[in-house]
Amino acid sequence: MSTNKIDANKWVDRYSDYLFNFTIVRVNDRELANDLISETFLAGLKSMKNFKGESTERTWLISILKRKIIDHYRKSNSKKGKAEIKIQYNDDSNEGDWLEENAPDRFDKTAEDVMENEELGEAILACMEQLNEKQAKIFKMKTIEGFDTEAICNEFNITPSNLWVIIHRARTTLAQCLEKNWF
Amino acid sequence: MSKKSTLLIDCSEAGHCCDKNQYKEASVTEKLKMLLHLIYCKKCRKYSSHNSKLTELINQADIKTCPEEQKKMWKKEIEKEITNS
Repeated sequence: MSTNKIDANKWVDRYSDYLFNFTIVRVNDRELANDLISETFLAGLKSMKNFKGESTERTWLISILKRKIIDHYRKSNSKKGKAEIKIQYNDDSNEGDWLEENAPDRFDKTAEDVMENEELGEAILACMEQLNEKQAKIFKMKTIEGFDTEAICNEFNITPSNLWVIIHRARTTLAQCLEKNWF
Repeated sequence: MSKKSTLLIDCSEAGHCCDKNQYKEASVTEKLKMLLHLIYCKKCRKYSSHNSKLTELINQADIKTCPEEQKKMWKKEIEKEITNS
C-alpha cells in the first residue's frame, strides 16, 4: 500500500477551504474558525513526525482540528461553570439558544437535513481536491464566491473561452466524483 | 461559414451553452440551440441533467470558503514555522 506523505507547503491551497467549511458549521464564528485552523496547522507541523501515512493528509488534519474544536467548547463550557446559562433564550420558537445546546454535542446534531448539508459540503470540497490548484481556484471563485467571468479572467489573465473550458472540466470531474453518493 | 449562424450545434457547443446556463449567462439563442440539440442527443441530455444536479447540490451545500488574505496569513505562518524548525 502506498503511504501518504506530508507536504505542509501545500496545506493552505489544498485543504484550507475544506477545513474552514468544516469549522464554520461547527463554531459559527469566522474569527474563531480562523484561529482554530491556525492552531491546527501549527499542531500539524509539530507532530508531522507522528504521521504514519496510513490516512490521507486531510483526514489527519481534520482529526487534529476536531480535537481543537472540542477543546474550544470544553474551555468555553468550564468558564461558564455550570453550563446551563441562558444566552438569548427564546420562548416562542423551540430554537432556544441554550449554551448547553451550543456546547457539547456538535458532532451529532439532531436536524438530519442540516447534517446532510454539512456532509454534502464536505463531499463537494473533497471532490475538488481532484482538480488542479488553478482549476479549483477558478471554479470556486466562479461557482461559490460568485465572481464575474470578467473579474476572474483579469485576475488569471485568461480569455473567457479559457475560463469556460476550465469550468467545463471542473464540472465534469465533480459530477463524476459525486455521482455515486449524491445523484 | 455563412453569416447566419446555424441552429444546429455540436456536443461541445451544447456543453458550453449548458455550462453557461448554470450561471445564468446563456443568451436566449444559446438556450434555444441547446434545447434543440438536447432533443436528439442522449449524451448531452445526460450531461445537462448532471450539470443541473451539480448546481443544485452546490447551492444546497451552502459552502463557506475563507478569504484569500486569511490564506496568505496561514501560508506565512506555516513557512515561518518550517524555516524555524
